[in-house]
Amino acid sequence: MQDILKAKHWIIISLLPALLLYTFIVIVPIFWSSYYGFFKWSGMNEPSFIGWANYLEVVNDPIFWRALKNNMIIVVASVFGQVPIALLLALLLRKTTLFQRFVRSAVFLPMVISTVVVGLIWGYIYNPEFGIVNALLEMLGLESWTRAWLSDPAVNMYAVSVPIIWNYIGPYLIIFIAAIQNIPTEIEDAAKMDGANGFRKLFYITLPMMWTTIKVAVVLCISGSLKAFDQVFVMTGGGPAQSTELLATYMYNNTFMTYRYGYGSAVSTMIIIVSLILILISQILMRRKEEKGMSI
Amino acid sequence: MRNINLFLFLMVLISIWLTACNSDQTENTESTGESAEATVTIWHNFAGDDLRARTVRDLIDQFDEENPNISVEAEAIPVDGYRQRISTVAAAQELPDVFFTYAGSFTDQFYNGGLIQPITPLMEEHSDWADSFLPTGLEAYEYGDNGDTYSAPVGMSSTSYLFYNKQLFEANEVEVPETWDQFLDVIHTFNDQDITPIAMGNQAPWVAQSTTFGAIADRVTGTEWFMNAVEQDGASFTDPVFIEALGYFKQLVDADAYQEGANSIDNTQAEQYFAQGKAAMMINGSWTVSSLAASASEDVIENIGVTVVPRIEDGEGRANTITGGPGGGFVLNSEAEGNVKEAGLELIYALSNEEAQKAIAESDSMVMYDVDIEPENVSPLYYEAFNLARSVEFAPVYDLYLSAAAGEAINNGLQEIMLGGDLETVAEKVQQAQVQSLEEE
Repeated sequence: MQDILKAKHWIIISLLPALLLYTFIVIVPIFWSSYYGFFKWSGMNEPSFIGWANYLEVVNDPIFWRALKNNMIIVVASVFGQVPIALLLALLLRKTTLFQRFVRSAVFLPMVISTVVVGLIWGYIYNPEFGIVNALLEMLGLESWTRAWLSDPAVNMYAVSVPIIWNYIGPYLIIFIAAIQNIPTEIEDAAKMDGANGFRKLFYITLPMMWTTIKVAVVLCISGSLKAFDQVFVMTGGGPAQSTELLATYMYNNTFMTYRYGYGSAVSTMIIIVSLILILISQILMRRKEEKGMSI
Repeated sequence: MRNINLFLFLMVLISIWLTACNSDQTENTESTGESAEATVTIWHNFAGDDLRARTVRDLIDQFDEENPNISVEAEAIPVDGYRQRISTVAAAQELPDVFFTYAGSFTDQFYNGGLIQPITPLMEEHSDWADSFLPTGLEAYEYGDNGDTYSAPVGMSSTSYLFYNKQLFEANEVEVPETWDQFLDVIHTFNDQDITPIAMGNQAPWVAQSTTFGAIADRVTGTEWFMNAVEQDGASFTDPVFIEALGYFKQLVDADAYQEGANSIDNTQAEQYFAQGKAAMMINGSWTVSSLAASASEDVIENIGVTVVPRIEDGEGRANTITGGPGGGFVLNSEAEGNVKEAGLELIYALSNEEAQKAIAESDSMVMYDVDIEPENVSPLYYEAFNLARSVEFAPVYDLYLSAAAGEAINNGLQEIMLGGDLETVAEKVQQAQVQSLEEE
């Protein structure tokens, strides 16, 4: 008993440095930032207190809501792009032949490239003059489909989602492959003996056994997409005319381009609130599924 | 168990002691640095590999070598991130002793925040030098009731030259446009020949505003109206005359003057597009002269002519103008005192005196200083543009005078117009942003 108590002590003491670091680097700045949100501050003059004005302005700014909408497009594209594609690939690539290992590395490769490079590469791919997308469409005789992918507001949000999906399939693929390999072979063998093959095995054995992993992947995916910034910032900078503005680029442009540090801080705080709400919703949705799964 | 406890405790102690040691060491090195007479920190954005950047860095190194008792700690920050870096350290009260600034609202902020101090002692000491700046050269950096000077420009920003491809103009038998109607005719002619009339790379949205719209708007509204609108003194950006100016820009868009996707390629790509002969014209700033001089072949450069944006006959403004004025200069941190202040002033002088201005001018880059350059030392295109700039008058560059927020509003607004947006809405947004920034000052 005493040993357990002591062990607990040590756990607490050992966690303390990390916790302290986390508190000062993450938690405290969040509160500082929401505090700065109450000030009118250009970063150079003395800040002056203006109450809730910044927060009200954020809520009343149509661009903020457009940025939120665009962010939701990224979230949806990521959850319904990254996760299913990674799952499909994981199911196809579970063996370790040379070819499969090659495909796996190829899918993981974008993850290793700096996101800025990803943005630049895709900027060239979409380039209206010499981009490969338009060139391919022309080769296929689909000239009418060619367009300035990044500057046409009708399509540019979807265009910028593609590189983000492409960029982050790798880690989910690895997580899913690990999950599949964790399924005990006894269960698979038993299923085989019971005559479950192909899709039956997939839906009744493999997917249910991976469900917790998929849930984690979805949460990671949502929180990751809300932080989306780099690729879009490099490709379009939020433009043209703020049509690809995301919450993060909106915050950046307000803080560092127009020197409204107070307003930028208020936007940051709103981003945190929105993220918490979304994570909460996804948790509730997932929990329901879990209960259902258990009752069956 | 006890032993492990003791061991861990010691580990913690040792690591604390090690970190403490480290900080001691840094303090030591700092104090040895002070044993030289003065250490001056300088931040600038001459980080690139172009001639001008190398010239300025050489000037700094030369100053460092020639003054053994002054040690210069220079940091070069890429142009794109420079404003943000400087405003971030300004917010943290950690500005370097000397730093590079842009004329206009960027410097206004440092002055309003009390972060910089006058360099008037230099002006008094070297009055010949102070008198040799071109008109308006120093005025941009004068602040306060006494008209104290806070910086001396080391460059000239001239942002709206009309470059044209001589061969394409000859082959299609058109003259270089001098009036707006001729301009539109030329655009139609090139469009009929499937040649892009004007190359533009407006992904970073300042381009359309800085290179094209400023010049058009000045021709339509006149300079005085703009200055009044900036101060919100009897003029407003919702005035019909400003809508009219936006309308002229819209005429270019509607005439398909720009290549498709102009909003998704950057300025450098547009320069290359023009240099490759795919577009007949390009409206761009003096930086284009420098970058073409550095990257294009001689044949290409000889084929490029340079002139001013066509005049607008119904406008209130002057014809023959180029948007521009004094470029950036170095300023002195208000906290610099004693030796550091002396050394900082010397450094600022060394970077903007006659020799420095000549060196910068001969690195294919414009200066705001009365200096003669040798044609054989520079690229022919630069020589032509240099003489053109000295023969015309300057009109204000929009984003140098507008507040940062209003600058963003007009930049985004022009992109909106290129996407078919409504002129009145754009004007409204610019007006709103400018009013709000004036209130915040």
